[in-house]
Amino acid sequence: MTPLTAFTLLAAALFAMGLYAVLARRNLIAMLIGIELMLNAASLNALAFGRYGALVDVDPALAAVSGQLLALFIIGLAAAEAAIALAIILAVHRHRQSVDVDALDTLQG
Amino acid sequence: MSVVTLVLMALCLLGALVAVSVRDIVHAIFGLATALLALAGLFTTLGSPFVGAMEVLIYVGGISVAMIFAVMLSPQAGKGLRETPARRFGAAVIAALFFAGTGLALLNDTPVADSPEAPGVFAPAALGHALLGDWLIAFEVLSLVLLLAIIGAVLIAVREAPARDPAAPQNSQAATGEKVAP
Amino acid sequence: MAFALLRRHATAAASVVIASGAVTALATLWLLLETPAVDSKIWPWLTLGQTELGFGVLLDARARLMGAVVGVITLCVQVYSTGYMAHDPGRGRFFALLALFEWAMLGFAYSPNLLQAFIFWELVGLASFFLIGFWYQRPEAIAAAKKAFIMTRIGDVAMLVGLVLLFTLAHTLDIRESLAAVAETARQFPRSHALIEVIAALLFVGIIGKSAQFPLHTWLPDAMAGPTPVSALLHSATMVAAGVFLFARFEELFLLAPITRNVALALTAFTALFAALLAAVQDDIKRVWAYSSISQLGTMLAGLAAAGLSAGLFHLTTHAAFKALLFLSAGALIHHHGTQDLRALGQAGARRDRLTMLGILVGGAALAGIPGFAGFASKEAVLTVVHGVPGRAAALGFALLVAGAGVTAYYVGRVVFLLLRPPNPALAHADDAGHAPHAHAEHHPPTFWMLAAILTLSALTLALVFAGPSIAALIGQPLPELALSHAIPGLSAVVIGLALATFDFGRRSAGASLLERIGPLHRALKAGFYLDAIYEKVVVGAALAVARALHVIEARVLDAAGDLTGRFTLGMGEGTSRGQSGQLQRYIGVAAVLLAMVALWLGFAR
Repeated sequence: MTPLTAFTLLAAALFAMGLYAVLARRNLIAMLIGIELMLNAASLNALAFGRYGALVDVDPALAAVSGQLLALFIIGLAAAEAAIALAIILAVHRHRQSVDVDALDTLQG
Repeated sequence: MSVVTLVLMALCLLGALVAVSVRDIVHAIFGLATALLALAGLFTTLGSPFVGAMEVLIYVGGISVAMIFAVMLSPQAGKGLRETPARRFGAAVIAALFFAGTGLALLNDTPVADSPEAPGVFAPAALGHALLGDWLIAFEVLSLVLLLAIIGAVLIAVREAPARDPAAPQNSQAATGEKVAP
Repeated sequence: MAFALLRRHATAAASVVIASGAVTALATLWLLLETPAVDSKIWPWLTLGQTELGFGVLLDARARLMGAVVGVITLCVQVYSTGYMAHDPGRGRFFALLALFEWAMLGFAYSPNLLQAFIFWELVGLASFFLIGFWYQRPEAIAAAKKAFIMTRIGDVAMLVGLVLLFTLAHTLDIRESLAAVAETARQFPRSHALIEVIAALLFVGIIGKSAQFPLHTWLPDAMAGPTPVSALLHSATMVAAGVFLFARFEELFLLAPITRNVALALTAFTALFAALLAAVQDDIKRVWAYSSISQLGTMLAGLAAAGLSAGLFHLTTHAAFKALLFLSAGALIHHHGTQDLRALGQAGARRDRLTMLGILVGGAALAGIPGFAGFASKEAVLTVVHGVPGRAAALGFALLVAGAGVTAYYVGRVVFLLLRPPNPALAHADDAGHAPHAHAEHHPPTFWMLAAILTLSALTLALVFAGPSIAALIGQPLPELALSHAIPGLSAVVIGLALATFDFGRRSAGASLLERIGPLHRALKAGFYLDAIYEKVVVGAALAVARALHVIEARVLDAAGDLTGRFTLGMGEGTSRGQSGQLQRYIGVAAVLLAMVALWLGFAR
């Protein structure tokens, strides 16, 4: 197993675990934890591919830098997302005295 | 792959497992922090110490702490909610099927599975030049997004605070009046 | 090409618009005088099949001439408007709309392909809609704006069909390529002439609407409800000129369609006489100029239809200058005296506004076609071209145009004499009762900038008499020689018209005018030959009848079908709604299952 495969497999495992948390957990914060795991899996992928670059046609320095840049942007966006999500969770909690996602069924048809 | 890398990978998986499985939210957040710390280490072994440092600063130092604050601010949030076994099982099956599919695809068919390690020097200076050069617009837009997210988060969290309530000023006046009266 | 929409800061808006207007005027003039290195540039926008859609500029001689006319006239009008609109609360919006108008017109003039031309053509119509209805508090302004928009839309539909047909024939949107393709088709397949005739006829209907030719002309006089600078712009360089320019742009196409050309020639020449007659009985100075515009546009289009590209465009240029001048001068008088009625203006002492009257005199002389003024040269060029065309339609057109020229001289004389008539205290009150009140409650003498615009346009009008040969050289088609024998009919018509006007209005003791003595004709003319009434009865009546019939059908048949459809949809909706649990994780779960299926497909199937 090459390093690249190992890293991408790790990323897939992290993503799958995040997916599980988002699907199974009833606590909104636990769901948020799952989302963060999935985002980190994506960053790991970006860095791994940047390092063991498939970007053969590109200037190697640029390829490595672009992987890191993608990871940095993901981290930045995740920070924004987490801020908003936590604010929403707080608002929901104030409204309903609960963070149970099952209770949030206003959209029910 | 060095032993360090393998240990970090195992730590990462373990932390993630804790993060998604334990019922207590604070414990889950610590699991997430562990996984992300290990991941930061992996980033460093991948030749990106700067990204690793950012990961530690933002995720471990920022987001995880913010989550703990959220738990502290909303007492209900810290309580683990019990999920039915069927629910956990269904979610686990979907996640496992996803992992199986991606894993097989990666093992069999990754077109870049054998590509060599890039020899680049991962100087933060190069990163800075790229950020403020070719990617300047994306960089600036991202900063705008962050600013808006902060403003939006504050707005959402503050919206129903008592101070914004139309009745609030009267109440506070009455309260002060009562205080002054004795 | 600037578009600034500043509402709050009117002065800032005006300065921005005028500055950009000046830049635009200079740029268009530079384009006119310097032959640009590239004559067309197209930025691709999107590709549909084999058709490339692009936006760009086509800088051939016609476009450059038109662009310069638009740029210069618009600048004058904008400068003038600083004075005229100084007391209007909506002047920021006004200037923004002026800029939009200019931008749309320039975009149309320079447009290299059919689609862009059509888009900007409609933008011109839209901008004029806003400007005519600028004083939206007044119902008649709204009505006039709607009328202008709808009447021109009638033509636009025909034009759109024509453009689509042209595209199916030529398989390209590029104007020059499509013209070349049409010429090629006509050469190879003689039977395709019928199709070309149809395309030309449809395009011509569009022109009729935009350039207010008979029978779609009735919107233009009503468009006077807009501010006077708008009328000046509308009637000289932009809106109505768009139609003429469209004809010039597709001149090659029309040359291949002899039937359409002859019909167009006769119809436009008829419009020239008809509208001139109507102009001769109007009491509102703006309506006089409005009908005169229709008449002059007819003259231009007749020249173009007679294959006189240079002559038609030359007349377009001179007309743009002197009609803008006439409107701006009239606007200055209205601004000063607070009435639009000719006699009332004369009584109020219009003759004392010497500079403004100079503008009216110069513009009027050009309009009447007095030798030595711009209008004479271009009008005679058109007449000569029309005279040179063989056939009965052209002969009829020539006769009508000559008669129109005579009537034009007559009504110009009428306006000038009525305005110059010294105030008569005995008459003042009798006349005051009749005229319609004008929006300007306060009366202001014209400002420096208004006079500057008028004087500039006067000078321009005087100078343009020499522009004929250079325009001809630019277009690449020489103007016809002005033979004395051809000029005699036109000239004598002018002389007769002026003489009659002098006889009717030039005397202090003038009684009823010639036209007023022929009672029925006068009444018919006053009512615009009852066209509005006829439209009201026939068109609106027919539309109502159709609507009633449709209503019955709708109530009996369609509603039942509609109800059925509604109940079905409702049932479907309720069924679907039950599937919506509102549970976030079920939704995510569905997405995740699909994601897992994609992953499995990636893992196993490949």
